[in-house]
Amino acid sequence: MHYEAPIRKPLIEGDKSYHDITLDVVRPVESSAPRSWWIVFSLALVAFLWGVGCILYTIGVGIGTWGLNKTVGWAWDITNFVWWVGIGHAGTLISAVLLLFRQKWRMSINRSAEAMTIFSVIQAALFPGIHMGRIWLAYFVLPIPNQFGSLWVNFNSPLLWDVFAISTYFSVSVVFWYVGLIPDFAMIRDRAVKPVQKHIYRILSFGWGGKAKHWQRFEEVSLVLAGLATPLVLSVHTIVSMDFATSVIPGWHTTIFPPYFVAGAIFSGFAMVQTLLIIVRKVFSMEQYITIEHIEMMNIVIMLTGSIVGIAYITELFIAWYSGVEYEQYAFLNRATGPYWWAYWSMMTCNVFSPQFMWFKKLRTSIMFTFFISIIVNIGMWFERFVIIVTSLHRDYLPSSWSMFSPTFVDIGIFIGTIGFFFVLFLLYARTFPVIAQAELKTILKSSGDNYKKLQEKEDHGDH
Amino acid sequence: MATTNNIIVNALYDDDDILLAGVKQVREKGIEIQEVYTPFPVHGLDKAMGLKETRIAIAAFLYGVLGLTTAITMTYGMLIVDWPMNIGGKPSFTWGENMPAFVPIMFELTVFFAAHLMVWTFFFRNKIYPGCKAQNPDPRTTDDKFLMEVVATGNTEELMSLLKQTGAIEVSVNNAQHA
Amino acid sequence: MAEQKKYWRGISELENPEMVKALSEQEFPDQISNEEFLGNKESLDNTHTSRRDFLKYMGFSTAAATLAACESPVYESLPYVVAPEEIIPGIANYYASSYYDGHDFASLLIKTREGRPIKVENNKEAGINASANTRVHGSVLNLYDATRLQRPAVNGQESNWSSLDKEIKAGLAKAEADGKQVVVLTSSVLSPSQKKLINTFGAQYSNFKHVSQDPFSYSEKLDAWQEATGKRALPMYHFQNAKVIVSVGADFLGDWVGQTVSSDYAKTRIPGKDMSRHFQFEANMSLTGSNADKRYKLKTAEHGVLLAALYNEVASAKGASTITGVKSSMQNEAKSIAKELLNAGKESLVVCGGNNKDHELLCIAINDLLGNKETTVSHKTRTYLRQGDDKAFKALVADMNAGKVGVVITHNLNPAYVASGMGNIAEAFKKVPTTVAVTMKYDETAQISNLVAAENNYLESWGDFMAADKHYSLQQPTINPLFDTRSFEDNLLKWSGLSADYHNYIKSNWNNNILGTTQWSSVLHDGVFTASSGTPVMDGMMEDLSSTSGLSLDLSGVGTRVSKEAKAIKGLEINFNQLTGMGVGTIANNPWLLEFPDPISRVSWDNYLTVSAADAVELGLRHWNESNGALNGNLANITVNGVKLENVPVFIQPGQTIGTAGLAVGFGRVGAGAVADKVGVNAYPLMGAAHHSELKVEAVADSKHEFACIQLAHTMMGRDIVKEVSLDTFLSGPGKTESHDGWNEPPRFETHKGALTSEDANLWDDFDHETGHMWNMSVDLNLCNGCGACVIACHSENNVPVVGKEEVRKSRDMHWLRIDRYYSSDVTTENAEEKGYEGIGLFGKGATDMYADMEVPSQSPEVFFQPVMCQHCNHAPCETVCPVAATTHSAEGLNHMTYNRCIGTRYCANNCPYKVRRFNWFEYHNNTKNFGDNYSMNEDLGRMVLNPDVTVRSRGVMEKCSMCIQRIQLGKLEAKKEGIALKDGDVKTACQSACDTNAIVFGDVNNNQSEVFKLKKDQRMYHLLGEVGTQPSVFYQVKVKNTTA
Repeated sequence: MHYEAPIRKPLIEGDKSYHDITLDVVRPVESSAPRSWWIVFSLALVAFLWGVGCILYTIGVGIGTWGLNKTVGWAWDITNFVWWVGIGHAGTLISAVLLLFRQKWRMSINRSAEAMTIFSVIQAALFPGIHMGRIWLAYFVLPIPNQFGSLWVNFNSPLLWDVFAISTYFSVSVVFWYVGLIPDFAMIRDRAVKPVQKHIYRILSFGWGGKAKHWQRFEEVSLVLAGLATPLVLSVHTIVSMDFATSVIPGWHTTIFPPYFVAGAIFSGFAMVQTLLIIVRKVFSMEQYITIEHIEMMNIVIMLTGSIVGIAYITELFIAWYSGVEYEQYAFLNRATGPYWWAYWSMMTCNVFSPQFMWFKKLRTSIMFTFFISIIVNIGMWFERFVIIVTSLHRDYLPSSWSMFSPTFVDIGIFIGTIGFFFVLFLLYARTFPVIAQAELKTILKSSGDNYKKLQEKEDHGDH
Repeated sequence: MATTNNIIVNALYDDDDILLAGVKQVREKGIEIQEVYTPFPVHGLDKAMGLKETRIAIAAFLYGVLGLTTAITMTYGMLIVDWPMNIGGKPSFTWGENMPAFVPIMFELTVFFAAHLMVWTFFFRNKIYPGCKAQNPDPRTTDDKFLMEVVATGNTEELMSLLKQTGAIEVSVNNAQHA
Repeated sequence: MAEQKKYWRGISELENPEMVKALSEQEFPDQISNEEFLGNKESLDNTHTSRRDFLKYMGFSTAAATLAACESPVYESLPYVVAPEEIIPGIANYYASSYYDGHDFASLLIKTREGRPIKVENNKEAGINASANTRVHGSVLNLYDATRLQRPAVNGQESNWSSLDKEIKAGLAKAEADGKQVVVLTSSVLSPSQKKLINTFGAQYSNFKHVSQDPFSYSEKLDAWQEATGKRALPMYHFQNAKVIVSVGADFLGDWVGQTVSSDYAKTRIPGKDMSRHFQFEANMSLTGSNADKRYKLKTAEHGVLLAALYNEVASAKGASTITGVKSSMQNEAKSIAKELLNAGKESLVVCGGNNKDHELLCIAINDLLGNKETTVSHKTRTYLRQGDDKAFKALVADMNAGKVGVVITHNLNPAYVASGMGNIAEAFKKVPTTVAVTMKYDETAQISNLVAAENNYLESWGDFMAADKHYSLQQPTINPLFDTRSFEDNLLKWSGLSADYHNYIKSNWNNNILGTTQWSSVLHDGVFTASSGTPVMDGMMEDLSSTSGLSLDLSGVGTRVSKEAKAIKGLEINFNQLTGMGVGTIANNPWLLEFPDPISRVSWDNYLTVSAADAVELGLRHWNESNGALNGNLANITVNGVKLENVPVFIQPGQTIGTAGLAVGFGRVGAGAVADKVGVNAYPLMGAAHHSELKVEAVADSKHEFACIQLAHTMMGRDIVKEVSLDTFLSGPGKTESHDGWNEPPRFETHKGALTSEDANLWDDFDHETGHMWNMSVDLNLCNGCGACVIACHSENNVPVVGKEEVRKSRDMHWLRIDRYYSSDVTTENAEEKGYEGIGLFGKGATDMYADMEVPSQSPEVFFQPVMCQHCNHAPCETVCPVAATTHSAEGLNHMTYNRCIGTRYCANNCPYKVRRFNWFEYHNNTKNFGDNYSMNEDLGRMVLNPDVTVRSRGVMEKCSMCIQRIQLGKLEAKKEGIALKDGDVKTACQSACDTNAIVFGDVNNNQSEVFKLKKDQRMYHLLGEVGTQPSVFYQVKVKNTTA
């Protein structure tokens, strides 16, 4: 019944039993943090606090503390927003889409991927807030009657669509993640000896007992959530892309954006997952769960989406030329050859050229190279958003209003701050949460476990 | 179902396949299985135990419909009825004309309602909530052991030996009531 | 001297400052709530306040707060006991008045609210065009300048009037005793009464002189006219009658002999058969030059020979004697232009700039030969806006140095500043025992005078003017003096021992000498008066008008002199000019004007040496931009007439004649006020009587000056932004009114229904804009000369914040209405082919290079001005994207901005194709620390200029042109009260009423009687960026250039 074609590589290496999995998963939680963890954590914390400072300064003094001007009304703020949202796509995608496609290899990575999703969406959600001139009135975007009478929000505005998209995506991701966590929390609870710890995990685990009926519902809920989350993932970046696609600015007003943004999001998301998991598997010695196989799989996804993105870039250029609209043509010419050519070409190099190396098995199975590329890709994707936003705005219709943008220390500080915040959250998660969905993983031990596969083979040979 | 005078027999297994076989045998004997605790979803267990299909998916669908209607009434009520405005010349005379702009909202709210209300239902039906005490009788069942609770109506010894035969590593009697 | 003054907002504050302060914190008195007061039983018991007292306190607190709430501008104010019936809170009053600061003259209407003058409007009744320019529109702010002199000063110590008068009387007596001169030194005196008064004052002294000197002297022009007509006065020019206008260095649209000619000029610029053709020869790129049909770059030194050549052409045709031995570098141009002049006959006009007698003589001669006397050059009506006499002034300085002068009284003139190039004034003043400066500022002259008589602002005092023969106007106070100041005339009255006050003095003078049968009150109401016949009132000004028939012109020697002049300057030539925003710097301390970007260079907060690109390379001077786009340039040390000026910012100006440079006066002030004193360099010491001279420039090695230039790209990049056609095409070419065919083809889109315009290619069924009002605005690019009066008018009408140099450098200027300036480029999409740009340019010269080269303006560019305000699109991109519906569309076709609702996402600004939305990056008001320069929003006194009908926007809010919604509402209200339909012209936007060329027309297109309705049907009408399909409510009229084929 647990049969799986022997040509498939085992997803769990080493001679593992159910109990071994338990032990491996629970180890980081039960052991105390290594020095390396503390160092990284404090670094992240410092960056985070610096960011908080910059944000408070902005709110206290005004958006003028950023590098923006009358022509370039958005720059790093929305660039970072889109970047983080993009990163926040892989998690749900891995757990939802791959669940629907019954991709077993997802199981050992989806927990961390989802965690990453949630943490990066938190970063993303910061920016639409702090980029407001009057953040203290942010509640105006909620569809509630206010003190000025029943003055409602504008449902025509892509920015409002964002409000709904982001909040839905975030909250649904959280429950999806949490439902999956409950049995694993229960496991930790049942092993915990320290009363405080036990108590905390009892609260977290909702008293899960693993009854047959509950498992039945559990699986159904996971499946339905996956079914809901899949279109949701696609919708989020589609809607984010509409911020630009529905506008009139040459370089923004582009119908290709939705698919192009989604592909880009998956691209950057997987890159970020790579970055994190390569660290996690090393630090928590989980090489046997997060195998080269997994890394290769993700590299292939990166290569694919990277190429899709590349095609999107080229299509844009072609359409700009083909449209015959002078503003459109100039916008793209200006991207490649204007004052911000360097941004454009960094984007091209990082996003289109670098993933092509993944065609070589040798490279896509090399940990170091993968790590390197994953960083490169994320840099490239940041530049993509910068190019789209700033180089389109800074030279639009009337030359009289053309201008340039350069960031202030506040712009930079806030960006660094979000990176810090992200790692603070992720590091805390890695120490206190089951970083691998062990309950799920146990279900595939027999089919994809190294030892069981060997067993399987023996039996087959035994037959004839 | 389980009454106080009934005796509950716990059979502990250490492998899902053996458990599954055991469940089948016990059911064939027409003995009522009260509950099975497993560390992970064991495929086919619900069928073996003869559990009914869950209808939570249907609930989710209904919630989705609710979300969609909310979105439609909200957009209609706010921008068409209560305060129709000329926003960039977009026709807001009827909801239909303005609808294309509302599609994202409609989609998002559908998903939002479906997902959240379904999960709430899941918690509610399972009677699990933050801080609720562990429902499993034996902590090992979240690690690598599988536990079957059988109601001994007739001869307990007979039943226990039967369970032994099915490959249970431990068989014990307890009157403690679970579930 | 200029320390902050404390104003009581009422007696109550005098009695109990703390409490009133506390109360004035919030607009409404916080009354003790009943719950608080009665709810707490035991506190109620042990309080000794009876209900009666309680009411009493409440009553007082309310009253006190009410006093605190109304900012009364009057120095010591009491609440109205009997409210003056002309002042109704919330209703504006308009008073006809005039402006004259010794340089600019204008007939005005002053708008006051609750007794505060807050806005300057043009007085359209004026017989001669004396409409307000940028400076005059801004002048209302100077009334509330806290750095004004607030009381008289004696020997640098603040003092009082009695002691000042005593000192002066003593000084005068002593001078008389020692037989020394008593001198009144002023700029040109336009006022009959003032002139009379000066004479009465002078009559008391045996040795009295009145010397006039203009801040920007045209003395030699006057000499020329004196020689020609015997009268030292300039003629009045009638540009509206000229079909061919030749200007040799005369920047008559910018600053010339004082007469405002822009509206006359505009009358001839209306496209049609009899549209005028305008030739301009000049060294600097001037406002006039940029409006010319044909502009020739010519060194000022060679203007003389050109005029001579022109004269010869005309003379030989007319058979008059020619000047021999002159050779112009532009003989051919002279020939062809002369032909056109002769064809135009008496409908021609030749004018010249500079302070040069020969040039003027040649102009007089040419015009005389052309026979345009009284059609374009009126000898009968002469203007008196420039009367300065360099010789007399030089003589005076000499006398001072010789110690022959006992008393000098200066007024309307700041000799230590404006005449610093014509002798060492400071030294001369030292030699005079009694020096009296009648001035509003502790300025350069006040600092070297031992008696300073603090003067009224023009809005605080009476006055009368005769700018030209028969054309009189009145100046009436619209507010009590804010400080302990006195007008010049009241001083004279006091010092000559007369008891009358100046108001009655003027009144009697007018009744006796000017008005004849006309009623004083009616004139006071109109502010202007045109006498039926010239009656002699001002000695030295006008006598019998009939005696101006013959001209006595002696051109002998002119030829040799101009030829000599042409060769005189070997190296570079510097030309002194004035910037539109600053003029001669009389009211320099004005943040509105300092932030006003110059129409040509688009630079604010600076003056600079303009050089041509070629010379810049020669001299090793360059421009570069910082990463945020801010413009930087090199500095240079320059030497003129042996005077050295260090660290002058250098601005590379397209259209600047090679071998010349320009430098504006009016900057580099000392004592003009906190805001102005920091700004620019002082060019006056370099400038003698002549407006140009030889220049030596040495670049300062690795120097950097920060410019606040608000426009980074200067060409249209081959886009149809300012549409232009030649007159021939306009007349001959097809152009049906219904569908703008031919030369004004609107963008069309190929659809399944065929090619449609963006209006027709519309997916939506639109909102009804046929019923009720539909506000539209037309901007005629042919009539707009870029003067920028509208920008300042908008500034003061709508409380637009001033952000200061640093913020402007960051492209964060807040102007709701801007005037874009574009230069033509040598590369155009049309000529790209033959210039060999092919393909996209991956290999070799292609599109990429083409666009790169298009960014470079031509060195002899055509210049285009385009006022751009919010276009009030009916398919507004900004509206759809606002998440909170803070910007929505009105039924009257206006794009509304709801400040209260705005959360400041800036999405609307990003999505605006016209980039007219302005964001409040910081708190610009009550933010003295960072924006103190903007005293109109950061000082108690300055804030009085704010328009109470317009909100001052808070930080983080988007703002933009509202089409003066407050005026529209008022207009509708008035009509409603009268129960009649709103008539066309009842509502005028600030920019429209400020525009004296009628380039801006606003109105209701649903009223088919309205002017804007006709203009919308006009074949020249087009929408800016029509292809974007935003369907704007603002439209433009194609620019038509009268170029020779």
